[in-house]
Amino acid sequence: MITGTGITKTYKQRGDVLGSREVRALRGVDFAVPRGGAVSFIGESGCGKTTLGRIIAGLETHDSGEIVIDGTPMTPLSPRRRRPYFRRIQLIHQDPYSALNPTRTIHQTLRAPLELRARQTGRPGSWIDQRAGELLSLVGIDPGYVLGRYPHQLSGGMRQRVVIARALTVDPEMLVADESVSMIDVSMRLSILALLKDLRERLGVSLLFITHDIATARYIGDAGELYVLYRGQVVERGLTESVIHEPVHPYTQALLSAIPVLHGLERPGRERVVPTEALDERHADEGCLFARRCPFRTERCEKELPVLAGCQDSSHEHACFHPQRRAVIPVEAVA
Amino acid sequence: MTTLSHGPSGSPGSHSSEEGDLVAGPAAPPPPGVRVRDLVVVYKTPLGELPALGGVGLTVDPGTITGIVGESGSGKSTLALSLLNAVQPPGRIASGSVEIDGLGDVVRLDGDPLRRARGRHLGYVFQAAQNSLNPLKTIGKQLLDLGRSHGVADLAALVRDAKDLLGRMGLDGARVLDSHQHELSGGMRQRVGIMLALVLNARLVILDEPTTALDMITQATILRIIREIHKERGLTTLMITHDMGVAAEVTDHLAVMYGGQVVEHGRTTEVLGSPAHPYTQGLIRAIPRLSGDITKASALPGRPPTLGTLPKQGCVFQERCPVRMDVCATVAPPPVTTHGRTVACHATAAAPPLDGRKEQP
Ligand SMILES: Nc1ncnc2c1ncn2[C@@H]1O[C@H](COP(=O)(O)OP(=O)(O)OP(=O)(O)O)[C@@H](O)[C@H]1O
Ligand SMILES: Nc1ncnc2c1ncn2[C@@H]1O[C@H](COP(=O)(O)OP(=O)(O)O)[C@@H](O)[C@H]1O
Ligand code: SF4
Ligand code: SF4
Ligand SMILES: [Mg+2]
Ligand SMILES: [Mg+2]
Repeated sequence: MITGTGITKTYKQRGDVLGSREVRALRGVDFAVPRGGAVSFIGESGCGKTTLGRIIAGLETHDSGEIVIDGTPMTPLSPRRRRPYFRRIQLIHQDPYSALNPTRTIHQTLRAPLELRARQTGRPGSWIDQRAGELLSLVGIDPGYVLGRYPHQLSGGMRQRVVIARALTVDPEMLVADESVSMIDVSMRLSILALLKDLRERLGVSLLFITHDIATARYIGDAGELYVLYRGQVVERGLTESVIHEPVHPYTQALLSAIPVLHGLERPGRERVVPTEALDERHADEGCLFARRCPFRTERCEKELPVLAGCQDSSHEHACFHPQRRAVIPVEAVA
Repeated sequence: MTTLSHGPSGSPGSHSSEEGDLVAGPAAPPPPGVRVRDLVVVYKTPLGELPALGGVGLTVDPGTITGIVGESGSGKSTLALSLLNAVQPPGRIASGSVEIDGLGDVVRLDGDPLRRARGRHLGYVFQAAQNSLNPLKTIGKQLLDLGRSHGVADLAALVRDAKDLLGRMGLDGARVLDSHQHELSGGMRQRVGIMLALVLNARLVILDEPTTALDMITQATILRIIREIHKERGLTTLMITHDMGVAAEVTDHLAVMYGGQVVEHGRTTEVLGSPAHPYTQGLIRAIPRLSGDITKASALPGRPPTLGTLPKQGCVFQERCPVRMDVCATVAPPPVTTHGRTVACHATAAAPPLDGRKEQP
């Protein structure tokens, strides 16, 4: 179980004409990923998804808040004592092309972390190559074909499988997949997603799935929770199906309204929420963070910040003063 | 202002098409049709010249907005470049023709007539348009260069039209025209590219991945605008994308490419609702969906071909096809058109698709 409470992160940007500028990437995010569970984060570009993923994977520090891994809070630990905890959380990169060292064969790429693993667990050297083969088979590629090859000799889908195999060398407890299929060809995307799903079921690895593609989040995390992130705040959260089919927050509704309709297979939802303007990081921090763009804002929204709270008529939480269900998602066309 | 509406907003808002059409003049010609015949485009590789387009046939009816979908490497951009006769070395158009109403066979055009045709008759946004802007000049200067090179008399009207288009895409036109490329975000540059494609009032507009780098909400806005302008100006629009959803949202016709061939072409709703080609069927089944049973989605086995791995003869899809027959290995299936749907597949030719949704066993 991995939990976070009140995670904040502010980046200071230098070199702006106006001197330094602050970007509040995360403003007090709470989350929980149960062992073997699947949790997805969705939101527009720049809303903080990658930052959160990197913090959870121990690749970035946060300013305040606490991350607790299997009951152990990370803050009191020295960076050296934290390392073994974070090693069990592996990040899978968006870009399978740059994630692998182009000068190393797949065998070399897998061997290095496996050697370390063998030392840690007191296994013999012969275990290393055997395990490399097992892991490649596990991610659905033929070890005989890829082991001797370099990354540029493999397709994008194969490379992403190698990246996943490398993440598995440390027997991770959780995989953080950040836009892990957006650069992979459409016909091969689903097989990578199915692989991640399958690893969760077979190995009990939990999955933190970061994406801007809500249908993908639904496919991967149907049994888990979905978090909607906006300007560093979680604005809606709950069981994936519930958030997608009964969204109450106007921002979630705007995201869902923006999804292209597969005319012929689907019909558009009855309603559509269109933000009144484009996302601008310079928008005021006062009141609701979505207020400037929200078609439903009232005076109260401009002064007070709504906090994430339960909802009377649905199973999920939202941060909005005027929550209301709206039928925004495309529905299946009847044949 | 409507913020909650049922479906896309149909109102043109503050846009005045009277003023906006200064460049085209009062009697705009009808939108052009396009007929691509047996188009072969080859690229020189260490293995010799290999075909990226292996004899493409495609008829685009005037006034339609046609999507061209297909995976990376299927030949979409090569086809778009061919429509402008702009395939660059190491590539070349080896044979075939591209007839565009009002222009003739663009494969035979060159020099000044070709240069004038681009921009005036053919508006285009190349893939990664955001990188093709001149980094040293403001957008406004590049707009004026474009106008001058096409002999636009009223440059003030051109600037007005440009600002208007940018405004509709949610940008501050005056600020954007005063900016250099590096001062704009990727999404803003992409919108600048779309503006430059439309501003000379070309009647045939070719957009190569116009929303790929955009955020989803911005993408929805741009798609709506593309559709609105297409309708208002009476264009023929070709939209190239690898995203089936994007194509489905804006287009009325859809052409599906695989391995340098158009394998299926028809009305968008029909191609999606009852795909006939096994590749189209597999592709649609592989799309994760928002509604319905998620376990219905299933992966398409295998991987897309590259120039070097295309089958030497027979059907381009044979290696991944679940209904392959003996003949598929040796004979390339010819495109067959029935009821406005064109399909290149031996299996479909034997048993034409029924109406309604069809499940493949
Ligand atoms: N300059 C080039 N030299 C060699 N081969 C090329 C060149 N440009 C394209 N190709 C090859 O031609 C084929 C078609 O390329 P094209 O760029 O048209 O595909 P696409 O469908 O637009 O793909 P993407 O979605 O990745 O842009 C591919 O196999 C590609 O590798
Ligand atoms: N290294 C950095 N320096 C400055 N700002 C950053 C840095 N990384 C991210 N940001 C800013 O933090 C915000 C959240 O970014 P990110 O987590 O990458 O969003 P997402 O992954 O959702 O696109 C954005 O405003 C982004 O510009
Ligand atoms: S709190 Fe107000 S401004 Fe914010 S999302 Fe809800 S209605 Fe809109
Ligand atoms: S021609 Fe043959 S191999 Fe090609 S798609 Fe049709 S059935 Fe499959
Ligand atoms: Mg990101
Ligand atoms: Mg392309």
